[in-house]
Amino acid sequence: MSAMGDSTEKLKGVHISSLDEDDEVEEVVEEGDDSEEEGEPVTLGFLEKTKNHWSLSRHVFPSKAGGVPAWLDPVNLPSGRSCVCDICEEPLQFLLQIYAPITEKESTFHRTLFVFMCPSMSCLLRDQHEQWKRGQEKPSRSVKVFRCQLPCSNPFYSSEAPRNDGTDKPSGSGGTTIDCAIALRSTRIPSIEVSLCNWCGTWKGDKVCSGCKRTKYCSHKHQVVHWRSGHKIDCQQLSLLVDSSSISNALWPEYEMINDDESEYDAEVSDYNIPPNSLVSTNKMDDTMNSLLDIFEVNSDKKCWASFQQRIARAPEQVLRYCRNASAKPLWPMSSGQPSKADIPNCCYCGGPSDFEFQILPQLLFYFGVKNDADSLDWATIVVYTCKSSCEASMAYKEEFPWVQLYPTSAI
Amino acid sequence: MEERPPAERGSFGRGFGGRGDRGGRGGRGDRGGRGRRRSGRKEEEEKWVPVTKLGRLVKDGKISSVEQIYLHSLPIKEYQIIDTLIGPILKDEVMKITPVQKQTRAGQRTRFKAFVVVGDGNGHVGLGVKCAKEVATAIRGSIILAKLSIIPVRRGYWGNKIGKPHTVPCKVTGKCGSVTVRMVPAPRGAGIVAARVPKKVLQFAGIEDVFTSSRGSTKTLGNFVKATFDCLLKTYGFLTPDFWKETRFIRSPFQEYTDLLAKPTSKVLITEVHED
Repeated sequence: MSAMGDSTEKLKGVHISSLDEDDEVEEVVEEGDDSEEEGEPVTLGFLEKTKNHWSLSRHVFPSKAGGVPAWLDPVNLPSGRSCVCDICEEPLQFLLQIYAPITEKESTFHRTLFVFMCPSMSCLLRDQHEQWKRGQEKPSRSVKVFRCQLPCSNPFYSSEAPRNDGTDKPSGSGGTTIDCAIALRSTRIPSIEVSLCNWCGTWKGDKVCSGCKRTKYCSHKHQVVHWRSGHKIDCQQLSLLVDSSSISNALWPEYEMINDDESEYDAEVSDYNIPPNSLVSTNKMDDTMNSLLDIFEVNSDKKCWASFQQRIARAPEQVLRYCRNASAKPLWPMSSGQPSKADIPNCCYCGGPSDFEFQILPQLLFYFGVKNDADSLDWATIVVYTCKSSCEASMAYKEEFPWVQLYPTSAI
Repeated sequence: MEERPPAERGSFGRGFGGRGDRGGRGGRGDRGGRGRRRSGRKEEEEKWVPVTKLGRLVKDGKISSVEQIYLHSLPIKEYQIIDTLIGPILKDEVMKITPVQKQTRAGQRTRFKAFVVVGDGNGHVGLGVKCAKEVATAIRGSIILAKLSIIPVRRGYWGNKIGKPHTVPCKVTGKCGSVTVRMVPAPRGAGIVAARVPKKVLQFAGIEDVFTSSRGSTKTLGNFVKATFDCLLKTYGFLTPDFWKETRFIRSPFQEYTDLLAKPTSKVLITEVHED
């Protein structure tokens, strides 16, 4: 029987049954149906494959995920301890970056947040202990977030808006070479970029291969890996051109991130009608799903999960939720493992409070095609807290505080 | 992508958090947003983006049957997992819709509670209960919850082990509230000897013959149907001599999924729902 047909039948039955049976006056089991807090307007991030490669270069201020980062400040890149996982000492891998300027201040005319993470799950598990530490000393994290901001007039970009038609950057290869000559011709922007590591294309390449003296690396580890996967052969060839195709394919696939308001997706919910013969329900849910109370046990984790699912269901492909208002709260998948106010440290540069800015959702793992073995990367959400006042400091790339929430480990 | 002249305090392009300046909806229109999304609901059905690791495994097709998930007691958190694995053959039925009321200062607030049973008639049943302001919402929500709560049902024989299992393997009883439901194995051809409500559930479970006995206030449908569900839950919880052999645990789907196809050795693997 179709659900719809049966329900209209039952609908008639409803009136009859209310006379004699089951006219319960329910106890106050407040399921929160009515108090559906929308809260602040949230911007969602979605991933799309780019059609043209220039739309991800740093000159157009992209928001992207995977691949190599488009550094906002191309010269003063993070170096030293900031580039590596504090737990396993491997260089961190680029996860995503978002261009999130703050219009109220001049110094944040351009502002990008970069998220890096160690692809190893065992590091992430140890990172969990680290993030709970509240001591004065800096914890050893395997997930790092950097913030970079520039005023409107700066030595790297012109004050005009990018034209976004392919002419904004030199049409040469990616950012591993110094391209000032071509840049001066086309856009009159001085473009002295720092060379990046030949293997990861992410970090500064200050170490040089002692054989050919041309290939640059960010760390000893990457030099070893590149050597083993082909540089041993290429090293001695004199006609070697530094090519960007040697960037490892261990990097996550590259996407561009498009943003949309969440409110756009609300409007569709009310248009929904049950198709006449649907046995299988679709993704849309316009009321809460948190009546898992009715099933056998009451569980705050389940309730939290149910409301998370319901919120996500409006736009199932979202990978990022951005909301920088003072009263914004992240959407937690689990009720366990949430930080309290005291767990979030103040900004380490200005000492001011940190506020929630954005969170990354696990759909990203699906888009990255991450393996699903027992030890592969998995998280419930990564919530990033940033300095409320987006302070200026001497460093170009300032560290912010990410909070990782993992799913509780299940059997085996 | 629009080109905007630089405002005094603006910034370029379509960054995050720049919404307030542009008055909300203005910026979206030029780009057409992700217009494809607005075109049809049909696309939604395929557009499941899994959120859990198990969901990703199922979407990739690495898991072929629900039994693999049951074997390792992995929690199923997304109903699309069930949809993908046994969705097409799943049938659902609304058992009852009752109005429930709550007293407020301004009168009574009425909501509708829907009880839905889903099953494939071959060893899987699920029960979902959902309360919502509209009937349609309640039904939809309870179908989802029913799918999340699907359990395997063990069937056995009354006498000779000929043919497929057709009845409960042993006497089992389930209780919810004051209602207790007892199921007793029956010979072939007996049919389901039960009241209207548990009969429905047992049909969905794929049990062909059973004798039942109930006690308590079976008028409360919620408890009655939960009691039968609880009873079916216990069929696999009952230790019988076939389970005396030590199980050799094969690796979880989160480990090498290819190992699941490995042949069993002398020890027994609990992967089969049917007994022969």
